[in-house]
Amino acid sequence: MKRRISRPGEFIKGIPIAVWLLALVAIPLLFTFIMSFYSSSGLVIDRTLTLKNYKLFFTDSLYARILFKSIRLALAISVLSIAAAFPLAYMVSFKVRRGRNLLFMLCIIPLWVSYLVRIIAWRTILGNRGVINSALMAMGLIKEPLTFFLYNQFAIAITLTYICIPFVFIPVYTALEKIPRNLLDAANDLGANELRTLFNVILPLGLPGLITGFIFSFIIALGDYIIPLQLGGTQGIMFGNLVWSQFGFAFNWPLGAALGFILFIIAVTILGLTSKFGSTEGGFLGE
Amino acid sequence: MSSKRRASARGRGTGLKIYGTLVFIFLYFPMVIVLLFSFSPTRTIVGLSGLTLKWYQELFQDPGLLAAFWHTVMVGLCAVAIATVFGTAGAFFVTRVEFPGKGVFRALVMLPFLLPGIIMGLTLLIFFRNLNVRLSMFTILMGHVSFTTPLVMFQVSSRLLRMGPTYRWAAMDLGANPVQTFWHVTLPMIRTALIGAGLLAFTVSFDEIVISYFLTGTWMTLPVYIYGMMRFGLSPKVYAISTIILILSLVLITFMARYTGRSAETYRARKPDG
Repeated sequence: MKRRISRPGEFIKGIPIAVWLLALVAIPLLFTFIMSFYSSSGLVIDRTLTLKNYKLFFTDSLYARILFKSIRLALAISVLSIAAAFPLAYMVSFKVRRGRNLLFMLCIIPLWVSYLVRIIAWRTILGNRGVINSALMAMGLIKEPLTFFLYNQFAIAITLTYICIPFVFIPVYTALEKIPRNLLDAANDLGANELRTLFNVILPLGLPGLITGFIFSFIIALGDYIIPLQLGGTQGIMFGNLVWSQFGFAFNWPLGAALGFILFIIAVTILGLTSKFGSTEGGFLGE
Repeated sequence: MSSKRRASARGRGTGLKIYGTLVFIFLYFPMVIVLLFSFSPTRTIVGLSGLTLKWYQELFQDPGLLAAFWHTVMVGLCAVAIATVFGTAGAFFVTRVEFPGKGVFRALVMLPFLLPGIIMGLTLLIFFRNLNVRLSMFTILMGHVSFTTPLVMFQVSSRLLRMGPTYRWAAMDLGANPVQTFWHVTLPMIRTALIGAGLLAFTVSFDEIVISYFLTGTWMTLPVYIYGMMRFGLSPKVYAISTIILILSLVLITFMARYTGRSAETYRARKPDG
């Protein structure tokens, strides 16, 4: 089909959104890109262009190591989120008839529960004097509080998984709902048992939703800096913290701009791949 | 059809249901904890003795917190108003104007919502610093406009796509001018999408901290203020305000669900022709 191009007059409609796009997305990104070639000496930003920041990223192994650690943790979080959300979506989509709407709402309500409240909740549960420790001590199982719950990668993983589950649930559920039900009957009639139907029919057809969910949770986990700050302790310094600290106490904005730009490239590449292989419709924004 | 067999297939899966229940417990247990702690006179949950509203009373004696609350409401309302104008205009643009590279344009507009908040936060911070704009309510508001606009645009454009152009054509055929068509035909049909998108945008804005944290000077929104409170450990007051936020978001999403029709039924596979 030939692509139609609208009359030039129609493009007036695009002015507001184009202004918004330039002012809040394109130009800030451009400024960041330019600043990533500046350098910082003390509190002054030196505006001569240099590749110093990128060179530091590629030569000092600290940055690559932390980025690698963050990617590994984000992958683990994505896998955990899918392990929690896929069976849930499968159950709500195929196994429940009565109360489906309620169950569906229950699955996505956590999406709209405050991010900070969720962090507060997990700090309360995992803390040294937290819920788990108090319960174990009250039962007489331990005498001293266990300290390995909080301030490590485990605490970050559990909190971020908690946050990511609804983000995975929605695209997966949408993909499962699109599977024509007569295909399941056909599989059944041809003698496939439930497990076989799951692997040969449902999983291949639901794959785009799974990919989208995986990518969503990966990006959320990779970019977060507040949860590592709150629950990660010294062990849990992630790439986001490294970027953030350049604008805080390290006060090296050009380096922060370079690291931020690297994160931007990673995120955009991954999002580009999703739009190719994942399902774009029925994202968590979908009507 | 094979309803009998389907029914028997439905009967199995006990293991799945147990697993699902465990996931639900995982999802809701933390919220219950926050709720309980906000009413607990002691700081522990074991040996919970009686309930108290003491912490809620203390909230109302904290002027900084109350100010932060109103700041958040103000930013949220302004962001929703601005985002609705830009987002709706954008929705009309992408659904009605054809041009090459439209897919890329749509993707670009969605970026502020899809990118990690840290990237939006730092690019806007660098942008405002370069223009010598001081961190204030304005910078926070712009941060919120950045991610609420794509949200509104997405909701409204999916409604417009679902509507199709036939109603508009009919109105035009009957002699309505573009303004009349918009006011009497299109607007009433997208009204619920607008309300739903507005509520959604407000809920997201009310809670936002990742971007705001970069753009905050001394003028603070509620999440940034609570974040400051959390630096000195979790006081019972933090649980009380968390519970209030929890209930507020539940109320908001209930309304939202009504307007966007976001329910399991709308996700059902439609007929092949539809």
